[in-house]
Amino acid sequence: MDLMRPRERVITTLRHEEPDRIPIDFGSTHVSTINPMCYRDLRRFLGLEARPARVKDVVAQLTEVDAELIELFHSDFIDVNRCLPPTNTEIYYRDTFYQCMVCLNRDPETGKAEIVDPSWKLWHHSYGNFYEEIPSLIDIVEEGSNYVIKLHDIVLGIGSKSSFTFAPIDSHGANPLANVRSINEVKDFNWDAFKYSDRYLEFLRKKAEYLHRSTDYVLVYSLAGRVHAWAQALRGWTRWLSDLRLRKPLANAILDHIMDVVLYNTKKIIDYIGEYITVIGYADDLGTEEGPQISVQLFREMYKHRYEELFSYIKKHSKLFIFLHSDGAIFPLIKEFIDVGLDIINPIQLSAKGMDPEKLKKEYGEQITFWGGGADVQRVLPFAKLEDVVQHVRDMIRVLAPGGGFIFATTHNIQPPTPSENIVAVFKAAYEHGRYPIR
Amino acid sequence: MSPVSNILEEIRDSLANLDLEKTIELVNKALNQGVDVMDIIERGLAEGMKLIGEMYERGEYFVADMIVAAEIFNEAMRIVKPMILESKKKFKPLGRVVIGTVYGDIHDIGKNLVATVLEANGFEVIDLGIDVTVEKFVEAVKKHQPDILGMSALLTTTMPHMREVIEALKKEGLREKVKVIVGGAPVTEQFAREIGADGYAENAFKAVEVCKRLINK
Repeated sequence: MDLMRPRERVITTLRHEEPDRIPIDFGSTHVSTINPMCYRDLRRFLGLEARPARVKDVVAQLTEVDAELIELFHSDFIDVNRCLPPTNTEIYYRDTFYQCMVCLNRDPETGKAEIVDPSWKLWHHSYGNFYEEIPSLIDIVEEGSNYVIKLHDIVLGIGSKSSFTFAPIDSHGANPLANVRSINEVKDFNWDAFKYSDRYLEFLRKKAEYLHRSTDYVLVYSLAGRVHAWAQALRGWTRWLSDLRLRKPLANAILDHIMDVVLYNTKKIIDYIGEYITVIGYADDLGTEEGPQISVQLFREMYKHRYEELFSYIKKHSKLFIFLHSDGAIFPLIKEFIDVGLDIINPIQLSAKGMDPEKLKKEYGEQITFWGGGADVQRVLPFAKLEDVVQHVRDMIRVLAPGGGFIFATTHNIQPPTPSENIVAVFKAAYEHGRYPIR
Repeated sequence: MSPVSNILEEIRDSLANLDLEKTIELVNKALNQGVDVMDIIERGLAEGMKLIGEMYERGEYFVADMIVAAEIFNEAMRIVKPMILESKKKFKPLGRVVIGTVYGDIHDIGKNLVATVLEANGFEVIDLGIDVTVEKFVEAVKKHQPDILGMSALLTTTMPHMREVIEALKKEGLREKVKVIVGGAPVTEQFAREIGADGYAENAFKAVEVCKRLINK
């Protein structure tokens, strides 16, 4: 029996004290959920009623985890944007902000990026031979050896038919600001299209209020914006990296507009749902497998003060805990984020160079909460034997859990060919071996 | 020190400091002074790229710096390349490399860096681009008769195409005529051995070492 309820447990660990057990996250963010084929298999393995996975991000192929799985795996968190129960199913509204960053879908009346999506449809992945539920406005069509994901006539993403996750269109070279040369051209870009509409926020408030009142879960808004990663999507991955060095005035102009949007949306989230949610998240992949994309010096020059302004606003106007996702080897940047008030870093990509959990815990464990790093989805989960999976989870818990400041999650979304028994073993081990004091 | 060595060192250092404008200015100045274009490339730009590689290996430079360096190098090469034929020195590349990202994969950041750094180190590079089919790789090996074929992949789902290319080279009787190197985030030394490649490198600078070793075999 658990001695604490999720909200008390999570707040305790975020204050770097030991709760009754380690809080667990399965599916509350865009980086801690599961691929729909794995999910289909998982339900089958657990003997649950066969049901196609509902996909909350078609391009990245992310499943919206059902309430029964959240409960079964003892997850303490819930995505405030979700549509499935325990959300009040009358409130069908989907935040496609993540995809809109890429596709610029606009509401014809307001000009703002949003979709009101009252219906879903089934789609069959022919290579994997499984069904999934996708928003009915989105079409997935076959073109040669690829699947192309479209919203009306806008291409959102492309991927090989034999692939289980697709890539957003910006990684295929479709970068809307790729060719701008002047600060005026940057200004002319429709930045307002990325600001949350009041209509969306009204829906969100109803949903958040409902979830806060009728459940015990900690409510998470996991993707309130991206900075570096958005600039890379707008300009192109490599072009942006050289912009930061060779075209600083242009880079600063783009970043100013990005921060204007991110700050606007952050303020709105705080105004509308700040009293219901506990965690507000951002995503900015600053690492590669080998090291950070940029030096600490360049981070300080271009990003640090911008993050400081954003995080200071949140701290001043809410009690929210701030979550930042960055894949890759980012060890040297963590301290920079701690300096400007970041509370939670996700995920500890265990396979990236220098992301040694022991060293991270020793160096920064008292100053920041690690969310993730509980089980390696790249090297361990898909391939390891059952007993090795359990051992791996226990090892990570022993390193990361003592003293609190740890939320258990996998290092990223669970992908094929991860066997269902390994997934079950991960969450079972996290629950059973996650009781404080950790042994 | 002679004025020529002097300006070549300045080119090397301004490239290593990632200064685009100064590098271009110095390259133009050197050309105006009649410095041989091959000296500009070999003793100026290539030496600069070598320093950058060393700094990357030491953890002083990051991927962003590599990309900036490649952009400056390519910009400078655009100026000097048309003049290579006029050089008194004969351009003798270390070897010819055909390079590409495998079928179904559109990721080219790593591949482009490898191509640039190989070029900076005196290799002739023929870049087939992205999403290169097995047939295209085989055709290019027939047509260009490279010393080395380089294949890149970022996805575990496209990695197996490397093996298919090697098998196709065997079938065509070309395998013994070309060395094969592979790279990309999911690719490992072990995988390279398993599929019968001759070499693997984890980054662009290691790739140069591997290529140099292979052509000296």
